[in-house]
Amino acid sequence: MDAAVLLDFLSASLRIATPLLLAALGGILCERGGTFAVGLEGQMLAGAFFGVIVTYFAHSAGLGLLASALGGMLMALVVMVATVRFHAEHMVTGIASNILALGLTSFLLRSIAGGSASAMRVPLLETWAVPLLSDIPGIGPLLFRQPPLTYVALLLLPPVILFLTRTRAGLALRAVGENPMAAFAAGIDPIRTRAAAILAGGALAGLAGAVLSLQQVGTFTDGMTGGRGYLALAAIIVGRWMPLGTLVACLMFGAAEAASLRLQAFSLPVSSYIIQMLPYLAALLVLAVMGRGARMPAAVGQPFRTR
Amino acid sequence: MSPVSPSADRPPVDGQAPAAPGPSTGHDRPPTLLLSAITARAARAAPLWRAVSAVAMAFAVTAGLILLAGKDPFQAYAFLLRGAFGSWDRIVVGLNKTTPYLLCAVGIALCFRGRVMNIGAEGQLALGGSAAAAVALGMGESPGWLVLLLALAAGAGGGALWAGIGAGIRVWRGVNEVLVTLLMNFIALLIVAELLHGSLGEEGAGFPQSPLFAPSAWLGKLVPRTDLHPGILIAVLAAVAAHVLLWRTTLGFRWRVAGASESAARYAGISPGRAVFGLMMSAGGLAGLAGAIECLGVHYRLIEGFSAGFGFNAVAVALMGALNPLYVVPSALFFGFLETGALAMQRQVGVPSSLVLIIQGLTMVFVLSGLGRAGSAKV
Repeated sequence: MDAAVLLDFLSASLRIATPLLLAALGGILCERGGTFAVGLEGQMLAGAFFGVIVTYFAHSAGLGLLASALGGMLMALVVMVATVRFHAEHMVTGIASNILALGLTSFLLRSIAGGSASAMRVPLLETWAVPLLSDIPGIGPLLFRQPPLTYVALLLLPPVILFLTRTRAGLALRAVGENPMAAFAAGIDPIRTRAAAILAGGALAGLAGAVLSLQQVGTFTDGMTGGRGYLALAAIIVGRWMPLGTLVACLMFGAAEAASLRLQAFSLPVSSYIIQMLPYLAALLVLAVMGRGARMPAAVGQPFRTR
Repeated sequence: MSPVSPSADRPPVDGQAPAAPGPSTGHDRPPTLLLSAITARAARAAPLWRAVSAVAMAFAVTAGLILLAGKDPFQAYAFLLRGAFGSWDRIVVGLNKTTPYLLCAVGIALCFRGRVMNIGAEGQLALGGSAAAAVALGMGESPGWLVLLLALAAGAGGGALWAGIGAGIRVWRGVNEVLVTLLMNFIALLIVAELLHGSLGEEGAGFPQSPLFAPSAWLGKLVPRTDLHPGILIAVLAAVAAHVLLWRTTLGFRWRVAGASESAARYAGISPGRAVFGLMMSAGGLAGLAGAIECLGVHYRLIEGFSAGFGFNAVAVALMGALNPLYVVPSALFFGFLETGALAMQRQVGVPSSLVLIIQGLTMVFVLSGLGRAGSAKV
């Protein structure tokens, strides 16, 4: 494999991993606070949708990005009220919010755009080359000639890590995810903490949706997330709820999909459908191999009640 | 025979976490007869009240969205109602639509009772349908009843096997079953696509579908000169059987104990792992049967996308049916007719039928919130 092919493959992996990484970072915040982030898929979908709609009508990519973050937060709000306020079961509530997002985006798209739903195209976010750094051979084009949200995803890593491990708020968040009663006794409000974590996670997942619609496709189609929210969820588990580990997992899933796209070009004895299974198989395989080694935040999925 | 024992749906007596619904609660007798009657009634009324209020709220919120879209919600709902029940033909379509929902939801209700969050009905249904199609196509001109019987069995077997793989990953590797079944759904759909573009596909059809089955392999009509196939009968029988299994047999008792408390189950000599296998494979078998019935009774072939959405919707059906196999019957009927009505509404008023998804999602959120508030934090 020569260098150009390898570079193309790696850059495709990074491209595909970007939405997974953004969503997974949101999911980490949510799950470290003690709420299963099954709703990522729907939050991504809402983010993708509102990003396109607002960009289309406001002719502003900035407003579009803001809208996608808010769209993700809107779906997160549903999950938040149901799980934090009413102690609804997290997993199935997440699934429910995903169904809701699928219906809502499809319904609103048809209501707003009417018959011209497919004509709602927006310009893609442009690739931005970092001066000087992008001229480094090899790593330059790979890391420093990318569309903006890819930078955002990568640049968010250090702050999220620092937040979780080096700040009071991060400690409070982890405490609530591990033992909300103890956190409560220490003067932390688990309900507010969880609510904030879910909403922040939703905003990131919404941006992840914007990666798909505004950075990669340029329009919105029904169910365009196609299970990436669930892959992000798998990446969190594989990455053991740590941002860096999750980054590795996302890149791995990205590489699996990039490989499947490239393998289809060769005339292999197996069909393209078998190859398309690669990312899902990779996720299942890694999860199965890791097995019980993964320790999730202790109180994840448990409701917090003061009575 | 009370349709649901008090342990099934704990009445919201207080905000406390409920006592584990272990072996004894089903037969507990509160001190006085009066109290017993009251709690029993509350237990029976709670799921109904929860379901009705959840649906009402979902319809109310959705009406707001229809209004926002510039249409008249009352007119839309009127057309929805007419589309669902307007004629015998519509009712038949609704009953046929109900069948897969009911079969899948019964399995999911069993699983959730045993606290196994099986979200994989769609993949199980897809592979069940594929297995049935393979048998129906492969056996060609054999006697009809034999082909039918084997195809239905293959459907159930295919679904159960697929679910069994998921159960294995869950039990032996300790991976959360929600994630396992979700990921397996995507793989199952790709397997179906592979089959339809390969060995089972029809040459030159222009659409990924299998050739038409020989008419001997078609599921007959329940009522002559209508499209009603016997699937709905099979589904209702399955619901009754699941109810009996869950509440009147040792196996069902074991499953419920395993769901209530893993440590209690271990202490009582019940293997939680085996319960997971039993639950998942039963649910997979039911979903696979639903897939077989869809292929043999509705499409008469395997087509791409025939399984779309059944899995998640069935979770909504099961939840609205309070995870009780018998209550799942009206719940499945509701969602089946809702869907046929919504398709008619889309044609007549131009309100997108994706409205159904909104109603389903909202109903689920409301039911779950109601369950959580009532104190049964775990489904």
